[in-house]
Amino acid sequence: MSAVGSSNPEYVVARVRARRGKLYSDEEYRKLTRMGPAEIARFMEESTYEAEINALGSRHGGVDLIEYALNRNLAKQFEGILDWSEGRLYDLIARYLRKFDARNVKTVIRGIYVDASTEEIEVDLIRAGEFDDRRIRRLLEAESIEGVIEVLDDTIYGPALEEAYPAYEESGILVPLENAVDRTFYDHLLSELGRDEPTRQYESFLTAEIDFRNARNALRLARSGADIDPAEYFIEGGDLFTRDTLARLARNLDELVEYIAESQYADDLGPALRELEEADSLIAFEHATDAALLAYGDQLGTIHPVSVTPVISYILAKEREVQNIRAIARGKEAGLSDAEIEEELVIL
Amino acid sequence: MAKDVKPTRKNLMAIEDRIELSERGHDTLEQKRDGLIMEFMDILDQAQDVRSDLSDDYETAQRKIDMARAMEGDVAVRGAAAALKEHPEITTQSKNIMGVVVPQIESSKVKKSLDERGYGLLGSSARIDEAADAYEELLETIILAAEVETAMKKMLEEIETTKRRVNALEFTLLPQLYENQEYIEQKLEEQEREEIFRLKKIKAKKEEEEEEAEAAAEAEAVSAD
Repeated sequence: MSAVGSSNPEYVVARVRARRGKLYSDEEYRKLTRMGPAEIARFMEESTYEAEINALGSRHGGVDLIEYALNRNLAKQFEGILDWSEGRLYDLIARYLRKFDARNVKTVIRGIYVDASTEEIEVDLIRAGEFDDRRIRRLLEAESIEGVIEVLDDTIYGPALEEAYPAYEESGILVPLENAVDRTFYDHLLSELGRDEPTRQYESFLTAEIDFRNARNALRLARSGADIDPAEYFIEGGDLFTRDTLARLARNLDELVEYIAESQYADDLGPALRELEEADSLIAFEHATDAALLAYGDQLGTIHPVSVTPVISYILAKEREVQNIRAIARGKEAGLSDAEIEEELVIL
Repeated sequence: MAKDVKPTRKNLMAIEDRIELSERGHDTLEQKRDGLIMEFMDILDQAQDVRSDLSDDYETAQRKIDMARAMEGDVAVRGAAAALKEHPEITTQSKNIMGVVVPQIESSKVKKSLDERGYGLLGSSARIDEAADAYEELLETIILAAEVETAMKKMLEEIETTKRRVNALEFTLLPQLYENQEYIEQKLEEQEREEIFRLKKIKAKKEEEEEEAEAAAEAEAVSAD
């Protein structure tokens, strides 16, 4: 509900546990991979997604219906968790869920940039973050990017966007604003975390996420050969890189791959790095980082049963469920075989 | 029609001139047609390669965007696409292949680096980069295919026109001219033969008259004696 007051992990964990039990099992995923989009929507209608499928069924169809229903359900679930949480627990959960706020801010800015209608922008928002309906409404009503920055003035994104605005005006492209939003999210992810054991577990998960994000971005920069200063895209807080190391390694793909292969993440990412060298594609590497984070998230749920970690573990599992169902439906729409969907898309 | 032509020596000379010009034109057009066909074959090979590349690039791009939509979601992919401001541009010029004017298409701002695509690097993924890469590649191939296929169509039209001209010369104009030439020659020969015959007749008549005159003179002389 708010960051004020005492923490209530017992209550939140109990409710989250009940919700976790409703997540799709591996067996249900396997069933889903053998269904077409219409059957998937029907299957979802008979589970926790019933309300969303029924509410959106008249406006959307096919895989779009599935995707919008998934996003809306995800938002409802995470909004509920934030509503139940209080005190320190709220702060710890909200800092992770702010990624949806960052995503929504970028969606609104992009919408204004391309003169999209309010309805078009609204349908793409995922209201799973900290922003309340009033702020989202004000964001949607903003008529210019300056107006968006004004609405966000009292949030963590306000100062960063104001600072990036002149660069946007100069270049005419959204990169400075988008990077400012993402950087603010990552900067606040690890700031002022507590020192108790569950929080340390959580911190090491967030550190791994930042490390993977830095590694992915460094590999993308190294492969693209674009004349970009890699240090500009460095996210503070990880263990794997310093600003200087990243700036140096992002100019040489071979050295970068070797550096990651010899790091503490060698076991998780080694096979994917070898594949990267062979297939000349980063997708396997991103897949491996996602899988490693999810495996870590699963462990989090069992180490400290009454703390923030089971909640975060559930949030990750729910995100994975949404990602998997969307991947299956979109894969089916694109005509991929069941084996391809299972192998390339679904992270079990 | 040969009978429409007046069988005069002047017309014969004019027809012989036209035959010579048409034969020269026929040879030149035949050479042009063969040259165009050879150029066309080269362009055809190129067009077939480009078509095959286009098909492969389209499949790759479609697969990459399907994967990006599956993993990142349609919303994220549409959002990344919306962030693009600098749209690709094309300029067309023309070049001449054996008298055929074909377009030459120059493209700019098709291939973009990561910082030119408009979406932030921190919040996006390699799947979106790869889909964007694949579509940029596809767009370049489409532009090349447009250039090659338009050139191919124009060459084909020119080959058709030249072929029609060659055939018209070979099967209509030249045979007609040869026929006219033959007709005039025959007529002229006939006229010559008639002339000779007429002259012979005149000569014979003259000789006959002379003989008659001589005989009459002889008879007159005998009667006078």
